[in-house]
Amino acid sequence: MLNTAIKRPHGHPAGWILLVFLALLCRPAAAPAAQDCRFCHDEPLYRVDFNRSIHAGNGCTSCHTGITDVEKHRDGKEKPAPVNCGNCHEKIAQEYLSNFHYIQEDFRCSDCHRNIHAIRKVEGKHVKIAVIEKCTECHGNADYTASGHGEAVMKGNRDAADCSDCHGLHSTRVFHTSLEQYPAEAREFYTQKCKGCHADSVMMTRNNLSDKMVAYYEGTYHGKVQELGYPAPVAGCGDCHTKHNILPKDDPRSSIHPANLEANCGRCHSGFHPRFLSYQAHPDYTDRQKYPALYVTFLFMGGLLVGTLAFFWVHTILWWRKVYWEKDRMEREGIVPPSVVATGEGLQQVERFSVKYRVMHVLLVLSFFTLVLTGFPLKYAGTEWAQTLTRLWGGAHVSGLFHRGAAFVLIVGMAYVAWESLKFLFPKGEGKKGWLGRLLGPDSLFPNLKDLQDFKGMIRWFFNRGEAPKFDRWTYWEKFDFLAVFWGMFAIGGSGILLWKPEWSSWLVPGWVLNIAALVHSEEALLAALFIFTIHFFNTHFIPNKFPMDRLIFTGTYRLEELKEQRPLEYQRLIAEGRLESMKRGHPSIPLKLISATFGLGSLLLGLFLTVLILWSLLFG
Amino acid sequence: MTFLSRKTSIRLALLAAWMLLLAPTACGKPAETPPPWKVVEASTLRAMMADDRELPVYNTMSEIECLDHRIPGSQCLACEEIENDPVAVLPADKNRVIVFYCESAGCYRSCRAAGAAVNAGYTQVHVLDKGMPAWKQSGYSMETVERIPRGSIPAVRASALSQMIAERKDLLLVDLRSERSYKAGHIEGAVNFPLYRLSRNYAEIPMDRTLVLVDDRGFRTLLAGSYLEMKGYRVMRLFRGMQAWQEMPAAK
Repeated sequence: MLNTAIKRPHGHPAGWILLVFLALLCRPAAAPAAQDCRFCHDEPLYRVDFNRSIHAGNGCTSCHTGITDVEKHRDGKEKPAPVNCGNCHEKIAQEYLSNFHYIQEDFRCSDCHRNIHAIRKVEGKHVKIAVIEKCTECHGNADYTASGHGEAVMKGNRDAADCSDCHGLHSTRVFHTSLEQYPAEAREFYTQKCKGCHADSVMMTRNNLSDKMVAYYEGTYHGKVQELGYPAPVAGCGDCHTKHNILPKDDPRSSIHPANLEANCGRCHSGFHPRFLSYQAHPDYTDRQKYPALYVTFLFMGGLLVGTLAFFWVHTILWWRKVYWEKDRMEREGIVPPSVVATGEGLQQVERFSVKYRVMHVLLVLSFFTLVLTGFPLKYAGTEWAQTLTRLWGGAHVSGLFHRGAAFVLIVGMAYVAWESLKFLFPKGEGKKGWLGRLLGPDSLFPNLKDLQDFKGMIRWFFNRGEAPKFDRWTYWEKFDFLAVFWGMFAIGGSGILLWKPEWSSWLVPGWVLNIAALVHSEEALLAALFIFTIHFFNTHFIPNKFPMDRLIFTGTYRLEELKEQRPLEYQRLIAEGRLESMKRGHPSIPLKLISATFGLGSLLLGLFLTVLILWSLLFG
Repeated sequence: MTFLSRKTSIRLALLAAWMLLLAPTACGKPAETPPPWKVVEASTLRAMMADDRELPVYNTMSEIECLDHRIPGSQCLACEEIENDPVAVLPADKNRVIVFYCESAGCYRSCRAAGAAVNAGYTQVHVLDKGMPAWKQSGYSMETVERIPRGSIPAVRASALSQMIAERKDLLLVDLRSERSYKAGHIEGAVNFPLYRLSRNYAEIPMDRTLVLVDDRGFRTLLAGSYLEMKGYRVMRLFRGMQAWQEMPAAK
């Protein structure tokens, strides 16, 4: 320590020996010891206080380097170099280079550690209080010190956050929130700080607080957009709970006290009805006492999801089993289905979907994928893929715009289908006459008694208890696909419209309904995506005799032999009504087939890929 | 064939409509007009200073702030001095490369200085991008000529100050902003001691009262206050400066 000011001798090892010898003999002359310095610098600060300070073991010259000779220094010929605390406190000095106080205010160590010669180590239990006392020398922040965390620290709580727990000690970040220069980064940074403690179950439990609040927040729109990591302007913790005046909601000074809520939410939201304020920012779906409506919705949506998927997955597995085994039997016996070896008349292409419906399906596919690709990253905001996907969209805000754009297309499409359905039921000239017959007739997508019989027939067929039922134009699973979209649209579209502009929705419904809408939207989306990507894909495309895809929905036509095989009753009807001739079409062109195959297979693969991501997040997320 | 191609074209038209519907959401910001001076990064400035030891690099803050900490090898020249008479204080050769920088990333003062220099006919005007913070964040060292120990200067909020003005007689409001800003509007009773000249005329401030320092946004009163405290004054500062005072709702 004392030799720090001595130049290192070069070359001969004898130099070393000589140096040690000299150092032992005439140490005071070579490098002044503390008593030599104090001979002149004799204030009590250096004689008494310094010896009690944390640095007492260090000699004067360990900080005030550059003095080799007391005499020269006394004569003013040798001046000490500027003190560099970083010589010993290397890590802190490194951290401090990016500290706000250095970057913006050019503070140096001694500007905070003012009384450096008398500085003492603060005992563990007093560190937090010492930090607050130090910061408030300049930052007289009464909001903080007089309430919430600060008050708790001063009362001896060692868990409550002192200044440095949120802002860092030597690593205070340059955010310039007062200039609104880095609000997004600052929000992200401080929200993470809050989460750090408030998700710590041990710490929360011993302070009689809930450790679930972070998880509940992360389940809401605010929390999810925040978690995506590309925050659109959405509430982080400090936006509602304020920065320093953080108090429980029963305290009238608290920003979340009922009397202050309107102003609090009003800092971001405008144009809402006061009932907007009943929105729950940290709802617990499983709390029956506190949130009965949410609890019931949660159970219902969960039941719907599990019930629908379980029913159709079992149906699909049984179906696949039957077809696969059947195909195997035919292979063994060398039987080829007539549609495959069709000749002559059987090769004739017959129209099943007109251009209008094919275009509508393409639009449906595009808007559905856009909705899934923009919506699911929000649902599973914490996952890596969600964050990557959102970055690809250009951030949560842009992603949200695409979501709304696609929703608009879908809603217009649904309105058009509704209009088409009405025209089908009440055609021009006929009026109301015979509408019930058309509703339950073979060309309708509405379920009827035959569907029930077909379903029973299919189940018998699955178990080898009879022939496969003969279908007319629409099978019962196709009708379900169609109606499920309709039914889903009321749930997902209705809730989506409410959430589109929540402030306006509050003029229709109270804020807590928006919590329900968010839950319904999210669960229904999961049901829709899994249904389409597993059940619809399988029933229509992956069934062994159509694998890997049925291009019919894109090319619009199939062979007459296929019509006979798949829809025998419709075929008979078309013959009987003499309509078959008008439905004959030319063979689809190569470009159309290529586009269909590319678009169709691309969609199928994307859907399967998304299913993997969704299931992975659902099970392990 | 025509039938099929019509179908394809309908589909393509609808796809195009879809793209058009979504396109406006992806558009960027309109481009800003570039300033009439050159903006340089910290690393570029360092290289320029290494190449040309005589390069005039100006710290546009007040002398007090500049002498406390500045980029090594730069000179102190407050932006107000440059605005008052550029030709008198800047190099005679108007084709000389000159560089301005200031304290904050916003570079407000260096840009004002650069504007004045360009208007005076200087052709090689440079401004350090994001100012001294960028220099420090690049890890480059600073130079100190006359260090001011930071004091703990109490900051009073605007509302508290207006109450104090009404109750206490021993306060003196010292407005550190430029003469022009002061003339445009100031707190009643405040005297104007622009920060850029304070090192020369601070002694004219009476010592028998507690000073309340007022600046634009509250960023500069800490150092100015520390300076005056070092000179023996009792000092307070207005938290967030005139901005806070002006935002304060008028008392009924």
